[in-house]
Amino acid sequence: MKNLQQTPGVRLVMHGLLVVVIWFAVTWFLNQADPLMNYYVALVAMYAIALFGMVILVGLSGQVSLGNGALMAVGGYVFALTSLNWETVPLLGLPWNAVWSMVFAGLGGVLVGLLLGGVAARLRGPYLAGLTLGVAVGVPAIANRFPGLLGGENGLILTVPYPEGGYAAGAALTDDELFDDTDSLDDDTFNEETDLADLPTSQDEFEDEAGELTVDDFEELTVDGFDEEIEEITVDDFEEEFAAPVEDLDSADPEVLADSSDLVDGSLDLEFVIERWQASMALTAAVVIGFIALNLVRGRQGRLWKAVRDDPVAAAVSGIFPASTKVSAFVVSSLFAAIAGAVLAQILAFVGPGAFGLGLSLSLLVGVVLGGRVSLIGALLGAVLLVWLPEFVLQVAGERGWEEQVTNNAPNLIYGLLVVVVVILLPGGIVGTVGDWARKIRK
Amino acid sequence: MTTFIDYLLSGISSGMIIALMALALVLIWRGTRVVNFAQVGQAMFTTFVALSVQTLTGNWFLALAVALIAGAVLGVIVQYLVLRPVKRTDTAGAIIATFGVLIALQAGAGMIWGGANQGFPQPFSTAGIEFAGRVWPFSPYDFLTIGITALMVVILTVIFKKTSLGLGMRASAFNPEVARLSGVRVNRMLSVGWAIAGVVGAVAGVLVAPVATISPNSFDLLLVFAFTAAVIGGLDSLVGAISVGIFTGLIFSLVSGYGDASNAPIVALILLILNLLFKPQGIFSHHKVREV
Repeated sequence: MKNLQQTPGVRLVMHGLLVVVIWFAVTWFLNQADPLMNYYVALVAMYAIALFGMVILVGLSGQVSLGNGALMAVGGYVFALTSLNWETVPLLGLPWNAVWSMVFAGLGGVLVGLLLGGVAARLRGPYLAGLTLGVAVGVPAIANRFPGLLGGENGLILTVPYPEGGYAAGAALTDDELFDDTDSLDDDTFNEETDLADLPTSQDEFEDEAGELTVDDFEELTVDGFDEEIEEITVDDFEEEFAAPVEDLDSADPEVLADSSDLVDGSLDLEFVIERWQASMALTAAVVIGFIALNLVRGRQGRLWKAVRDDPVAAAVSGIFPASTKVSAFVVSSLFAAIAGAVLAQILAFVGPGAFGLGLSLSLLVGVVLGGRVSLIGALLGAVLLVWLPEFVLQVAGERGWEEQVTNNAPNLIYGLLVVVVVILLPGGIVGTVGDWARKIRK
Repeated sequence: MTTFIDYLLSGISSGMIIALMALALVLIWRGTRVVNFAQVGQAMFTTFVALSVQTLTGNWFLALAVALIAGAVLGVIVQYLVLRPVKRTDTAGAIIATFGVLIALQAGAGMIWGGANQGFPQPFSTAGIEFAGRVWPFSPYDFLTIGITALMVVILTVIFKKTSLGLGMRASAFNPEVARLSGVRVNRMLSVGWAIAGVVGAVAGVLVAPVATISPNSFDLLLVFAFTAAVIGGLDSLVGAISVGIFTGLIFSLVSGYGDASNAPIVALILLILNLLFKPQGIFSHHKVREV
C-alpha cells in the first residue's frame, strides 16, 4: 500500500478523492448551517487559499514575504476589471462568466509573481521581507494613482454573478451544458474524479502545469460546483416552497428562463441566500486550490522546495537550480494569492486599496505562523483562527462590556503576542506542536 | 528653479527623520543581524507616550526626554523578551517575531490611545521663514529637527569611536565569539545597542509627529522609506544610513512636489528593486546579500 501511495498517479486520485469528500462534507454542513455560518465558511475558504500559498512560500521555501496581500489585490482588481469591462472589450467573444475572470486573475497573479519572484529569489531573509513590505504598501497605492481605471481610494464595485440573475449570471445559466446535468449527485462525483485524474501528472515543468491546472481544473470543477450548488438549493427549497408564483417568473428576463422548462432552476429560487452562494463559490475555489497544493507539497516539487530551503548549496550540487526553485514557490503562492483575492472580491462585491492593505498581508503571516509554517492543515487552522478570533473577542467584549477601541484592537494584540510566543516556544505552530506531542505519546 | 529649491528645502527635515529611522535599523542589524521591523512600532508607541506627557505637563522638552527613556526601555524589552529567545538558526522566525511585535504594539497603542489621527503640539513655529524678500519653506522647527539629528549623530560617533562601550559594541558586532573570548559581555552590548536604537527611533517619532499626525499606523510608510534608505546605504553603514536617508527624503519631496504624494511609496519600491538588483550590498558596504 505504501508503495502504491508513492506512485504519482495513485496519489493524484487519492488527493482527488480527499478533496471531493471534503467538498461534499462541507457542502452538507453548509446546507444545515445558518447564513452567518455560511459567510464565515466563505471567509475561511478565502483565507485558506491564500494561506496554502503562504505555506509553500514561507514554510516550504523559507521566503518570508509580506507581499501576498498585494498579490491578492492583483487578483481582486483583475477580477473586477475583467468582469466590469468584459462587454466593452470582447476578449474571447464568449459570454462573461466568473470562472473566466478567476482564470484571468490567476494569470495576473502568475505574471506579477514571476516579476517579483525573479527579484526576490536573489535575496536573503530580511531583504526579501523588506522588499515585500514595500510591495504590500506600494501596490495598493497604485490604485490611487489611476483613479479613472482603478477607482482610486473608493475602489470598484462589482456586479457579483449571483445565480439569481445578474447580466452575466443569466448568460452563464442559459448555457445548455449546465442544465443537461440534472442527474443525481453521484454522477457529478464521477465527473469530477475523472477530471482530476485527467490532469497532467508530470510535475517537472510546473509552470506550464500550474497554468494548465488552473485553466482546465477551474473551468470544469467550478462549473460542476456551481451547477451542483444550484441544484441543491433548488432541490432543498423548491419542494417546500413549490407555491412560487409562476406569473412572476414568466415576466422576468426571458433569456434567463428560456431553457428552464422545468422549475428546477437556480435563477428562479426566491429563497436564494447570498451567504450560501458566497460559501459554495469560495469552497469550490478552495477545494481546487487545495488539490493543487496537496499535489505540489506532497510531491516532487515540495521536496525540491524543502531541499533548497534547508541547504541551497547541497541542493545545487544535487542538480537542483535553487533560483528557479525559489521563483517557482513565489509563482505558485502568487497564483493562490490572486485566486484568493478574486474570491474576496466576489465576497465583498468590492475591491479597494483599503481591503488589501498592509494589515491583510500581516494577517496572512499571522495565519501561516500560528497554524504551522509547513503544513496545509495548519493553513486551514490558521484560516479558521483568523475568522474565529475576532468574532470570539466581539462576543467576550459584549459580555464584559469592553470599550470599543479595546474591542477593535484586542484581536490584533492577541495575534501579535501569539506570533511572538509561537515563534519562540512552538516554532511548528499548532500542527507541529500537536504532531510532536503525538510522537512523544507514541514513544 | 526656485520651486526646485523649495522642494529640496522642504525635503531636508523629512530626510533627517528617514535618516534617523534608518540609523536605528542599521544599529540593530550591525549588532544582531536582525532587521527590526518593529522599530517604527516602538517609535510610534514612545511618541504616544510623549504626547501623553505633553498633554499632562505642556512641556515639549520633558515629553522628548520621557520618549527617549521609553524608547531605550522598550528597545531592551523587545530584545530581551522576543529576539534573544528566538533560535539563532531560525532567521525566518526572527523576522516574523519582529512583525509580531509590530502588530502587537500597533494594536496596544490603538487600545490605549485610539485609532484616530491625533495632532502633536508644535514646540516651534512650522511656518516658513521670511528671508531676502520671500518666504522660504523652511521653518524654525526644521532647524530644530536638523539640530537634534546632528546632535544624535555626533553623540553616536563619540560613543562608537571614543568610548570603551563603543569599542565593545563594535567588537561584538564584528565578531561575537572573539569579543566574548576577549572579555566583552556580548549580550549586554546587544542590549545597549537595542537601547540606543530605541532612543534614535524615539527621537525620529517625536520629531515627525508635530509636522504630520500620529496614529497607530501612521509610521508604516516611514518604515518602508527607512528600510529603503538603510538597504541602499548598505544596512551595515551608519554613514550610509544617514546620507542615503537624507537623500531619499529629498527625492520623495521632489516626487511629491512635482507629482503627487501618493507616488512616494511606488518610487521607494522602484529604488529598492533597482538597488537590490544592481548593487545589493548597498553603496557604503561590502558584504554578501545575494544567496543564489
